[in-house]
Amino acid sequence: MDVDAAVFGTGLSESVAAAALSKAGFSVVHIDANAYYGGNDASLTFDELIQWAHERTTPSEDKEPTYISVQKQRYTSISRSSETLPQSRQYSFSLSPTVIPSLGPLIDSLVTSGVSRYGGFKLLERLGMFDRPGVVRSVPSSKEDVFKSRELSLVDKRRLMRFLVFAAGQFEGTMELTGRENTPFFGFLRDIFSLDERTASSVAFGLALCVSVQDPTLPALQRLRRYSKSVGRYGPSAFLVGHYGGVGEVAQGFCRTSAVSGGTYILGRRLLSITQLPSQGRTEKFKEVGRKYAIELEEFPERLTCDMIISSPDYIPSELSSHASAVPPPLSSTSGTPTDMYPVARCIAVIDSPIRFLATGPSPETRTSGDTSSDEQAPQEKGATGEVDTAMLIFAPSSVSGGSTTSAAHMLVTGEGSMSAPSGRWIVYLSRHLLHEDEKTSSAEELLKPYLNATMSLIAPSISEEGSALPIQPIFTLFFIQNPLSAPPASDAASTILVPPPVTSLVSELADAATENAEQVFWKAAQTITSARAERKPQGGEGKGETPKDIEVDSFWPPLDVIDDEPTLEEW
Amino acid sequence: MHGVKRIRYTKEALEAKRQKDRTKLAEYLALTDEVLTKKKHADWSKAAFDLTTRLLQVNPEFYTVWNYRRDILLNGIFPKTTPVEINDILATDLSFTTAALKLHPKVYWIWNHRRWCLEQVPDGPTEEDPNGWKQAYWNKELFVVEKMLDVDARNFHAWNYRRVVLGSMPVKRPLRAELDYTTRKIEANFSNFSAWHQRSKVLATLWEKGELDQVKSKEDEYELVKNAMYTDPNDQSVWIYHRWLVGTGEDYDILIREIGAIQDLLDIQPDSKWCLESLVFYKRALLQYHSARMSAAEQHNLIDQCLEMLETLRTVDPYRRQRYADMRKEVLGARNAIA
Repeated sequence: MDVDAAVFGTGLSESVAAAALSKAGFSVVHIDANAYYGGNDASLTFDELIQWAHERTTPSEDKEPTYISVQKQRYTSISRSSETLPQSRQYSFSLSPTVIPSLGPLIDSLVTSGVSRYGGFKLLERLGMFDRPGVVRSVPSSKEDVFKSRELSLVDKRRLMRFLVFAAGQFEGTMELTGRENTPFFGFLRDIFSLDERTASSVAFGLALCVSVQDPTLPALQRLRRYSKSVGRYGPSAFLVGHYGGVGEVAQGFCRTSAVSGGTYILGRRLLSITQLPSQGRTEKFKEVGRKYAIELEEFPERLTCDMIISSPDYIPSELSSHASAVPPPLSSTSGTPTDMYPVARCIAVIDSPIRFLATGPSPETRTSGDTSSDEQAPQEKGATGEVDTAMLIFAPSSVSGGSTTSAAHMLVTGEGSMSAPSGRWIVYLSRHLLHEDEKTSSAEELLKPYLNATMSLIAPSISEEGSALPIQPIFTLFFIQNPLSAPPASDAASTILVPPPVTSLVSELADAATENAEQVFWKAAQTITSARAERKPQGGEGKGETPKDIEVDSFWPPLDVIDDEPTLEEW
Repeated sequence: MHGVKRIRYTKEALEAKRQKDRTKLAEYLALTDEVLTKKKHADWSKAAFDLTTRLLQVNPEFYTVWNYRRDILLNGIFPKTTPVEINDILATDLSFTTAALKLHPKVYWIWNHRRWCLEQVPDGPTEEDPNGWKQAYWNKELFVVEKMLDVDARNFHAWNYRRVVLGSMPVKRPLRAELDYTTRKIEANFSNFSAWHQRSKVLATLWEKGELDQVKSKEDEYELVKNAMYTDPNDQSVWIYHRWLVGTGEDYDILIREIGAIQDLLDIQPDSKWCLESLVFYKRALLQYHSARMSAAEQHNLIDQCLEMLETLRTVDPYRRQRYADMRKEVLGARNAIA
């Protein structure tokens, strides 16, 4: 099989790039060593998750494929509870839990490419900050929140509003910001906007999603502005959670669109070798007209030949790594989050009781706002019980005893509403960036246990026969550390092995960063393939076989083929 | 919406849509022809009625056909049916308009038809309970208008309609419930003249009827308004409501207290036009109604403060500098009146 580009790994970046290349008219073969789509961003059933953990904890063999040995470097400190869960296929566990901002590159690409038709999304219901066991406080992000808050003094309300208005507008070049772009954001809030510590913490960790008090100001402000603009597009939250496990499903959607446009998909085959073909006088033996690489896969009869390779470091054999170059990361606001080069401790847990976000201690009282006769018109909220199906919780530094005093941690819970768990079950994801050397010697489980306990404290305890409260435990837990891999040096020079730049693991940025990287890869690849094609065009007009058609690429996504119908009354 | 890219379609896709539209157009024109012919012949049959349904589904702005539909009901269908059946027909028509309003929330003719249906509701269900049906419909109506206000809380047509609905109900809702409703709307977004206005009307009635203690209630209102002022000093509706609360300024203690609160806000937000303007207004009220309590020196002091603030206002709010210049003249005039 003879193609323009071979893409290895069906993670989000690679899948978006493959889809764009296929739609633009290039021929693509897209390969993944796993039997499922999504690669490191995959959505897995319970059994698949167990298998995933097992493959990465077995002791290494001699002739281990590159993919597995690199995966074992990526994922370390794996431990899990021994339970097996029934209804394995009703779970979609994400290896890269994410929330997608309603305004941003991924949403744009989903709509413009038509992939949005393939999937569904759920709006995040709540975003709160862990205050103390059993208590979650809201993050005031809008005028409404600030007005209604009973915690903030009048002066604090004014100061916070002044900041929110500043952060929503054109802050670049303002006197408040100039010269302070790289100073810590937390300090910026205290010094320039006189926010008190608690409010500054809510803004930095709850609104801008910083992971440490050292996070710089400009990227934090840019994130904050992007998120506040995302509010209202689909509902009161800025974020969407993809159905069926989030970005794994999204990646699969892009693969599907790539296949529809002619891309070939090969899953579950081990990569045996990538050989560089000699550049002068390509031999008749392979019958290709001068392709650059030949690829051999296990149990796949055909040899694949291509002009370029796009791959995450997981697939590139060591002999070729010196030829690979990373695509320079885009100069956008998603870069600059300092999280891409740090390990992340992660936990995936399953619970069988709902988590509650309650602003005061768990008491059964409900607020009455006046006359009881007004209740007939007051909306009957599930919110009165505080139970959440799909929500995010932020642990500021020092908010959890035994947790980090310098970095924040994030919890994402997804339930039936996001089609990722059966009824009565929820998936809890925890993540904590390891910013300090001394953290790297602890196990993932040790690093995350305090946060898991804190999360469990938000579930109503069951009452034993004697009447005492028994705290709820998860019915399944898996811990691991996700390590960044060293990427090849970024270079602008034409390279035929392209590696997408490493993506931040920040829960609210991952999806957009991956999409922006995909676009960079797309342009670079399109350019490289086009010049490779030109090289192979026979000089002097005669040639064997067809001259490949020139492909004009003038945008990331081509126009859509079908206009969706607008809703009408005829169904009434 | 800001920041949302336009979706691009291929020429083929656009052409395919145009073809589909051409077919739809042909069908529409044929249907219109049929309906208008029947109308001309005063066809009051059920078949004609069903045709108007089909046509209005495609184009609910076709007011002639709404008129025709009502004529059919009045002349052809209602005379032959019992009150129970009439009630059912009206219920169906109301839910038809609800569906239409979801897609076309601003079409007057749909609202008209709705109102007409509500006015046609017969007495029932029983002789002992002649208002039962009407009450049910007006309750539903309130629910609909609330949905409209959820979508756009500043739609004054909807607020007006709300007052019509509340007034038309056979059994009126308690005023307290309406007060709570304005609270909810103000909490959601206090930049809303209509909500504050409704609140002032409800409170005035509650105070008049003695259902709420005016003094305590006003204190709560001052607290609410102060929170709003500090959250967004630029919001005009808040200051107007405050002005209503203070009234003519005859209560000296309240006037002094409010002046203090606004001054505190001005200290942390020195460019706030509304703070300055309100302070001038209230200080002039002090001079006007409470000069007996002040020495001549104190009064002169107040006037100087007003003049200074008016000067600041001319820079902070230059569009109205002539107005502030006029006010300055008036204040200077007051100086002469001091004993």
